[in-house]
Amino acid sequence: MLQVEKVSKSYRSTSVLTEVTFQMEQGESLGLIGESGSGKSTMAKLIVGLEHLDGGQITLNGLDFQQLRGAELRKARRHVQVVFQDPWASLNPKLPVWKSIIEPLENYPDVVPSFLKGVRNDKRKMAEILLEKVGLDRDFLERYPHQLSGGQRQRVGIARGIGLQPNLLICDEPTSSLDVSIQAQILNLLKELKKEFNMSYLFISHDMASVQYMCDRIAVFKQGVLVDLFLSKDLFSDTRHPYTKMLVQATVER
Amino acid sequence: MTISVDFTQPLTNDYVKEETFFQSLPLLEIKNLSISSLGENKKEDIKLVKNINFTIKSGEMLGIVGESGSGKSLTACALVGLLPKSLKVTEGQIKLHGRELLNLSEKEMRRLRGNEIAYIFQNYQGSFTPFIKIGNQLIEALRSHRKISKLDAKKKVLIWLERVKLPANQVFTSYPYQLSGGQLQRAALAAALMFQPFLIVADEPTTALDVLTSENILDLLVELQKEYNCAVLLISHNLNHVLKRTDSIAVMYGGQIVERGLTNEIRKNPIHPYTKLLLQARPVLSRVVPEKLVVIPGEPGLVAEQGCAFALRCPKSFKKCSILPKMQSVGDSQWVACHAADLEADYTNASS
Repeated sequence: MLQVEKVSKSYRSTSVLTEVTFQMEQGESLGLIGESGSGKSTMAKLIVGLEHLDGGQITLNGLDFQQLRGAELRKARRHVQVVFQDPWASLNPKLPVWKSIIEPLENYPDVVPSFLKGVRNDKRKMAEILLEKVGLDRDFLERYPHQLSGGQRQRVGIARGIGLQPNLLICDEPTSSLDVSIQAQILNLLKELKKEFNMSYLFISHDMASVQYMCDRIAVFKQGVLVDLFLSKDLFSDTRHPYTKMLVQATVER
Repeated sequence: MTISVDFTQPLTNDYVKEETFFQSLPLLEIKNLSISSLGENKKEDIKLVKNINFTIKSGEMLGIVGESGSGKSLTACALVGLLPKSLKVTEGQIKLHGRELLNLSEKEMRRLRGNEIAYIFQNYQGSFTPFIKIGNQLIEALRSHRKISKLDAKKKVLIWLERVKLPANQVFTSYPYQLSGGQLQRAALAAALMFQPFLIVADEPTTALDVLTSENILDLLVELQKEYNCAVLLISHNLNHVLKRTDSIAVMYGGQIVERGLTNEIRKNPIHPYTKLLLQARPVLSRVVPEKLVVIPGEPGLVAEQGCAFALRCPKSFKKCSILPKMQSVGDSQWVACHAADLEADYTNASS
């Protein structure tokens, strides 16, 4: 589904990504892990097409976003949605929750996700169904972002992300701004939704334990280089890259 | 001007601390501390921290864990007399070496802060003024507390920058923006430690930093703490950090301490349902990945006004929970405030 081929990117003279190559299948979740500045988020931006590549190629369902323009790019983009780290920043404070949720659906009036068949013209109903998918009841429809807790806000962000039934959902540190007690709720929710919709996840995080819980495979970035790529179950294998071992060592309980 | 510094020479205490005299007493003793916000007319409005008790000994590292709004930072602020004006300590005692801190004047408190109790903040950018070089800031801090010549101060600062494993000469002449987050936090650590305080309050010291950087900074903190035998109050919402390094733990919920005791005991045998859930709910690296994580029901900040603060979210709550449970001891080194403590203790429910 997603092909990343020898992708390089630099800002001015600083190289952020160097010849990164990986593939993803439909329904697979891949974790991107690394420290700040290792290029994880840049990778996400390139996949969504928010930044231009300096070298290499990224194709989603066979389409190269860098080559597409205008209507075609718009059409292709709906297959990738993003859940951001900070749910505060991703919701419009002036819109009630239901309007925020269906905004992507309004941008693509032709798209009819399977779970919204029959109600595609009823905006509130669609918002209600999506809210239910993320475990919030209809009382939340009319609320504004400031009336929600961090966890609830992130749920709304997720509802917005899955509305168009994307092939790929990019989760950029979805739980790092949340309290410990809420992290588990959100991770469980994401895992259930993935199963239900057979979505692929690109799960960006600096927490090895969350990545291991969420992902089938893990890609380790260090200073813009993909140093290690492996199945989650091989995390403790001796053949791991020394840097991966260091990250594991730092996270594992003594 | 360059000064050659002999880093091999051992550091001598500036002034003799009467260690032996104090050894029998706990270093810090907090008794029945309550903090309230003041509403209109300066009347007590909402109780934010309720009757908390704990002690720290020299050389001990105590971790306070709990979600945002549970009162961890407020407790720490009260300790150094830095509560915002709208909040007030309404009850209780804070004693350092047996001396009551709550009665001290602002002037006495200022002398004590930095000198005897040091504070390390989460926001490392805020620890330094952006347009003064690190070295000069540290010298200024040192000279505001001690009678020391500029030259001696510089020597001392360089030694401490070295102690926190920074390239001392380079950092000395750097502006804060030229350093990374980890380097700044190390410099902040140097600033705190160079006074050789009795107690360091570290409020989420590594929350804004990367995984490996955090680990290194905390390791350094532990190393220096052991070396100088000072006490550390480590506030964090990252359970892993706290479990890994502290000697004892206090778990806070809704302004109350619900469980405290030796870290090892609590890790192996948590009793309060909130502690248990906290330990189970975090993803843990392991060979067998669970299909589903245990969750704590409800939203953070859902605090029962009467009785046990956690009752509204507690899966085990029953009628009696509307009465505030007393802190009771379980074994030699563990205390818990829960009506179901006897029942809960029967399940030896180790984390992961």
